[in-house]
Parts: sequence; structure tokens; C-alpha cells
Amino acid sequence: MKEFLLILHTEGDVWTSLSPEKLQSHIQKGTAYITKLISEGKLKSAQPLDKGSRLVFESNGIIKDGPFNETNEVIAGYFHLLAKDIQEAVEIAKANPIFQDIPTKIEVHPMKIVGGIND
Amino acid sequence: MTNHTEITQLVDHLFRHESGRMIAVLTRIFGPENIDLAEDVVQDALAEAIHQWEYKGVPANPSGWLFRVAKNKALNIVNREKYKRKYSSDVIHYLKSAWTVEPAMDYLFSDQEILDDQLRMMFTCCHPAISTDSQVALTLKILCGFSIPEIAKAFLTSEETINKRLVRARQKIRETNISFEVPIMDEIGKRLDTVLETIYLLFNEGYSASTGDDVIRYELCAEAIRLTEIILTHPAIPDKSNVYALMALMLLNASRFKSRLDGEGNILLMEKQNRSLWDYSLMEKGFYFLHQSTVGDDISIYHILAAISSHHCSAPDFNSTDWNAILSLYDKLLLMDNSPVIILNRAVVISKVYGPVKAIDELEKIRRNSAMEKYRLFYSTMAEFYMQLNELKKAAACLEKAINLSPLNAEKKLLQQKLKKCNNK
Repeated sequence: MKEFLLILHTEGDVWTSLSPEKLQSHIQKGTAYITKLISEGKLKSAQPLDKGSRLVFESNGIIKDGPFNETNEVIAGYFHLLAKDIQEAVEIAKANPIFQDIPTKIEVHPMKIVGGIND
Repeated sequence: MTNHTEITQLVDHLFRHESGRMIAVLTRIFGPENIDLAEDVVQDALAEAIHQWEYKGVPANPSGWLFRVAKNKALNIVNREKYKRKYSSDVIHYLKSAWTVEPAMDYLFSDQEILDDQLRMMFTCCHPAISTDSQVALTLKILCGFSIPEIAKAFLTSEETINKRLVRARQKIRETNISFEVPIMDEIGKRLDTVLETIYLLFNEGYSASTGDDVIRYELCAEAIRLTEIILTHPAIPDKSNVYALMALMLLNASRFKSRLDGEGNILLMEKQNRSLWDYSLMEKGFYFLHQSTVGDDISIYHILAAISSHHCSAPDFNSTDWNAILSLYDKLLLMDNSPVIILNRAVVISKVYGPVKAIDELEKIRRNSAMEKYRLFYSTMAEFYMQLNELKKAAACLEKAINLSPLNAEKKLLQQKLKKCNNK
């Protein structure tokens, strides 16, 4: 099994436009999706991100920090997966029911793990 | 408002059935080193049930209600003690993320997972690093929802002793990092043997007429059977032939449970038991499992003991018992385990087949054994043989020793009546 980091991009104010009915069904689908991953032993962790991200950067030799440059797009959270290969990780990302409800992009990154240390 | 005693009764019943299941799930969540935390949460949930139901009535699904409360309490603890407490469990991190907490909780509290957790709990409670006494006490407390006073009553010992055993067992689990897992392939056989031994001990404690309260004793037997059922239904156990044999043995014996006492709670010998009081539906199940147990190549002690018991069950009356067949089974048993208790029981069969003189010869072989010197049944059995030979002085001497060693008044009374008969002749 290899490890993958999935980063979810969504749009910031999208939830306010969904009806309560739609919100509820969204949560139910999401719950079923995550339950399935847990029971198959494929989910190491998954975490939503909170508001207030900062960006640390270097400018003319000085390290500064400032608000994370969010346009309309936000990083909603990440999934840390166990999968056979990148193809399976991509399939898992594609199956995320979030696509049915809101505009979403998911980055799928293979993680470089040193054997024996993280096991 | 519902009557208080009615609620207490309902919760007792639920406690037996649900507390073991809840503690098992919570231990999966908190890790076995926090087993006492799991016990506390369950105790708390039950206390809250009493408190609420007394005023608001019993909910439609009391078991679901309890699990929901236990679930919420567990979540509160994980949130509150996120950094204070260390959790070894492999699922705890799911509870710390908003995305995974609900799905993980639903998954962990699903019926199949709860069943798995109970099996894991059996292997944890019966880990070879824990002493046998503590294994039994822990199994009763955690998996069967027995209170400390009930366990003390079942073992004719003080609550303090039981508490010490439990404290030591939990300490051992922490110190030796005993995992909360069903062992894997090459290890499972040996570990399963320990679990079965503990269950059999539990059953015997309930079944043997030596100890206290009849109701508690019957429940010990029922719990031993229930735990075995969990093992039987579980796919993680590859070879179940010994489990079937143990189940057969317990059911065949349990089917005779209620005929062993007379109206006043005195112990009846098998020849005086009313066979119409036997529970034939349990017996039938016992025969079914005995048949199932013959599938594998292995023959365990449970197979032979079950076969012996089946001979007693299938005899239409005491006098037509097939003692020769039983003796040959005891001979096989002796090859596997030549412990003095088995030699003692075999001597009874010898007396039926060859008469009391030969039986006494057998007993003489173990007379010097230190356990037998303190074992009341050794002396009462010896006395029985001497009485059959009409050697009443020798019988009386044995009876006196047995009376001194017996912990139970009912048994003492029975022995004293016999002694009187010996002395009057």
C-alpha cells in the first residue's frame, strides 16, 4: 500500500447557497463515502481546514507573513489515503460525492514515505 | 413516573446484555490501557439512564439510547482530554477530525464491529500474561457485566479479593502493552485455548455445586455459553472443532442443571435426579454441537468430556448408564491429563464397573497428593466406597475430614447425616 495526499479545492461561499435539504443529503453522502473508506482500511486521516490561514514568504531576504491569498477558491481540507497505486487514489478521489453538489477540484499527490520509519 | 424497582430491573437486564458490548467498543476507541475509562463511561451512561428514565419513562429503544449516550460521553472525553491522555488505539485520530468523527463513530458502533470488539476483548481479558484467577474475574466484570459483589459471591470470596484481582489485571494490561486484537494465524490456536479454558472455568464454577447462590451460578453457566456463541459465529477463528466440543459439553451439562437440587436446595446425586426435569431442548442442541465437533482431526479434553456427558444424557435411567463406555473415555482422558481430579472422577466409574475395592485402590494412588489432601470431594468419595463395603469406621473418618473441609452449610448437613448413619450402625 502506498500513501497519497488529496487536497480539496472548493469555492468559499458555496454552502450558503445550498438549501437545508441539499445540505443534509450532502452530509449523508459524505458520511457514507468516508465510512466506506474507513471500513476498507484506506483512510489514514481526513481533516477540514478552518478559516484564517496565513502565508509565510520570503521577500528581499526578509521572511514575512500575511493572509493566505484566497480568491474565490479555498482549500477545504485534505485526505490522507492508503491505496494500491495512483490510479486507485484517483478513483477514490473521483468517487467523492462532493462533486455532485459543489464545484470542486481535488489534487492527488503520491507521498514519499521512508520505509520503516512511518510504518 | 415509572416505578423505581421496575426501572432498576430493566437496567439490570440491559446491563448484562449491553455493558459488555459497550465496554468492548469503548476499549477499541480508547485503547486497552484505558479499559477502566471505558468501564467508567458505561457506568456513567447506565446511571444517567436510571436518572432520566425514572422521570421521562423508558425510551422505545433503550439499548440504542444507552449506546448513544455512551458514544457522546466518549466523544466529550476525547475532546476534553485530547492532549492530557495518551491513547494507543488505531482509531482515535478519526475522532479528532470534523470530517471523520461521525462516519468513524457510526462504523465503530455497527453490529459487526461490536461483535469483533467482544472477541478482541475475550483475547485481551484471557491474555496469558494475566493470572488465571484474574482472567476469570476480568471476563466476568468486563464482558458479562457482573458487579464486584456478584463475582465475589460466585467465587465465595471477599469483594476486596476480587477488586484486587481486577486492579492487578488492568495493571498488567497497561504494563505489558497487551493489544486489543484477535491474534493472527500461527498464534491463534494457543491463545484460543486459553480463552476456552477461562470459559470452561467460568462454566464449572457455575455448575459445580460447591459455591453460593443458585441464581448467580446459573447465570455464570449462561454467560459461559453466550461467550462461546460469540466465538462460534465469528469468521476469524479458523478451526472451531474444540469450540464446538466445549459448547456441546456445556449444553449437555446445563440441560441437567435444574434437576440437581431438591425443593429445599439440597444437592441430589445423579441416581436420585428426576429426569423429567432435564431440559431436552438444550440437550438436543448439545448433541448437535457434539456432532459438529467431530469434523476436525483434533480430539480435545472437551470432546471426551462432552462424550462422557452424552452417555449420561442418553441413558433412559441411572441403572442403564453405559459405565464401560464411560470408563474407556476416562482412560483416554487420563492419557491427555493425568491430574488427580480426573483420577478421582474415574475412580467413581471404576466402582460402577469393578466395584468399590478396585476404586479404593485407585484413590490410594493419589492420597498423598497435596491438592487431594485438602479436597473435600476426595474424602467424601472415599467414604462412599467404604460405606458400600460396610467399613463404617473408615467411612466415618473420611466423612469427618470432608465436613471440616466443606465451605457450604448445605453440603456439611448432607455429610453429617451420612456420618450419623455410620456411627449408629
